Amino acid sequence: MNLYEAHNLSRRYDQSGHPVPALRGLSLYISQGEFVAIAGPSGSGKTTFLNLLGLLDFPDEGSLRFEDQDTAGLNEHQRTWIRRKRIGFIFQSLNLIPVLTSYENIEYFLLKRKVQRNEIRKRVTEALASVGLADKAGQRANTLSGGERQRVAIARTLVRSVDVVLADEPTASLDQATAHAIVDLMKRLNRERGIAFIFSTHDPGILAAAERVIRLADGRLV
Amino acid sequence: MIKRLFLLIHLSCRNVSRNRYRSIYALATIATGALGLFIFMGFNRGLMNQYRANAIRARWANGQLCTLGYRSATWERPWEKWIQSPEATMLEVRRLPGVRDVFPRITVNAMLVSHGTTLAGQGDAINGVAEARFFTQLNYVSGGDFQDASGSVVLGQGLAHGLGVRVGDKLELLTRDVNGVMQKANVTVSGIFHTGSQEFDSRSFRMPLKLAQKLLGTERVETISVALSDVDAWPAFAEAARQLPQFEAASFDELDEVYYRHAVDWLDAQFGFIRSVILLVVFLAIFNVVSMTVMERTQEIATLRANGESRLEIAAGHILEAAVLGLVGGFFGVVAGWALTVGPLAKGIAMPPAPGITRSFRILIELASRDAVQVLALCSVIAIAGCLLPVWRAIRIPIAAALHHA
Repeated sequence: MNLYEAHNLSRRYDQSGHPVPALRGLSLYISQGEFVAIAGPSGSGKTTFLNLLGLLDFPDEGSLRFEDQDTAGLNEHQRTWIRRKRIGFIFQSLNLIPVLTSYENIEYFLLKRKVQRNEIRKRVTEALASVGLADKAGQRANTLSGGERQRVAIARTLVRSVDVVLADEPTASLDQATAHAIVDLMKRLNRERGIAFIFSTHDPGILAAAERVIRLADGRLV
Repeated sequence: MIKRLFLLIHLSCRNVSRNRYRSIYALATIATGALGLFIFMGFNRGLMNQYRANAIRARWANGQLCTLGYRSATWERPWEKWIQSPEATMLEVRRLPGVRDVFPRITVNAMLVSHGTTLAGQGDAINGVAEARFFTQLNYVSGGDFQDASGSVVLGQGLAHGLGVRVGDKLELLTRDVNGVMQKANVTVSGIFHTGSQEFDSRSFRMPLKLAQKLLGTERVETISVALSDVDAWPAFAEAARQLPQFEAASFDELDEVYYRHAVDWLDAQFGFIRSVILLVVFLAIFNVVSMTVMERTQEIATLRANGESRLEIAAGHILEAAVLGLVGGFFGVVAGWALTVGPLAKGIAMPPAPGITRSFRILIELASRDAVQVLALCSVIAIAGCLLPVWRAIRIPIAAALHHA
């Protein structure tokens, strides 16, 4: 089963009363457990496409299916539920609640689930260890470096056992070495846990790590 | 669920400390409002209690007993409806719960004549010795109680001024007895008083009960005033007084509806308005601070929503945060209010004479724990109300747009 099926997906934004197309008739498939990069210059529609995949936005035309389910028919509650249970997000910045510690940032999203306290502790500790931040558990998010914050965001997706992680330029604000470490981590988790990763980037070095590259220009596949 | 609630409270407290200067500003605004409100409530209570003490201790006692139906009608021969056996009735009333003392009284309408001036007055014929023990707020400008002197009277300041008499002067007191025959007594002014009520002081006098009974030609008394050991004991007393079916009891605020009750209602309405203004100012300040805070955190809200937090959950977090701000700010305000009251304002606030009152007075600020609770609750409610609109706006922004909110 495909994870995503997009058919003729279009999205326009209103800019001073004029419609500006961000995506123009995009059609593609993304499978379960894929490690996909979305490449393209600024304004090519990468973020718009990720927003649609993440059910954060609505297409103006076309359809998007998530595991055979047409997302157009989902109400707000159902979209929230899918985001909570199935999709993880890593943004370029502002991934975390700055006043909580690394541990609490991860724990926060588990507390509403019916998970035992001991189990929460175990899963959060394991997730932090798997991203190499076991020693930063008690540190507040606003005191972590950019790379550490991205790793906490990745750890957060791990404890939630999501099926897909959408990452919008996750390495854009990081130095080269940290960026590669983050992509290596994503790659490892994809391999070991079967989580699909769909991430956008400008960086050719990062693109090389992807199994498949979706290239966009002016909102179209190229 | 409880763990998550704790984390939300924990997160709210952390968020309050996130932008220290803004939080201090918000807390100071709420604390100032809470302080104003708390002191104001204490002032209000002090003023009301002073009014009440004045009404009870200067004139009415806690209430009165009269024969059933006497107060509700006008009688051609009222003395026929007066209490027949005052001593026996007083003995029964003394046995009722909370009763500290009882005072038999008759209202006497009389003409007072002195130096060719005749003025109409309304007097209370009383037991001077007994009443002197309780009516401590009848302030004497000169002289004092007539105690057991049978031929003495005390006059209200305005009445004495109108008659041109001083303490020690003699005057004639003319009234009709139960048969309609004019009776006269020569009395000496033993004291001149003021209660603070101009209207009351310009027509009132007090005379010995025995003298009044002699002039009127009756052994009966019109009412029995009741002094209670506790001002809040009236309802229990009134309930117990039903054991005496031939009598009815009325509290001082029923008896003094025009002056006391209306003054209290008028002040309550005025204070309610001022309280609303204070709350509005606090609300606007909170609204301003929370609007800025929420706007700054639009991206963070979007990140939370992207990760599966519902709008309701995010709103709940912000509401909790506002409640924490309200509670903490309110707490500081209450503590500051208490400190002011035991410190610089311990002796109360000097007030000019109120409408209809002839003397200035000091109002003690009387704080109550229930006021503190009310202030804390109000601060939280106001803070929550102030955050609702900004939060509602923030969670309505589409996630994709909010993620790129500058």
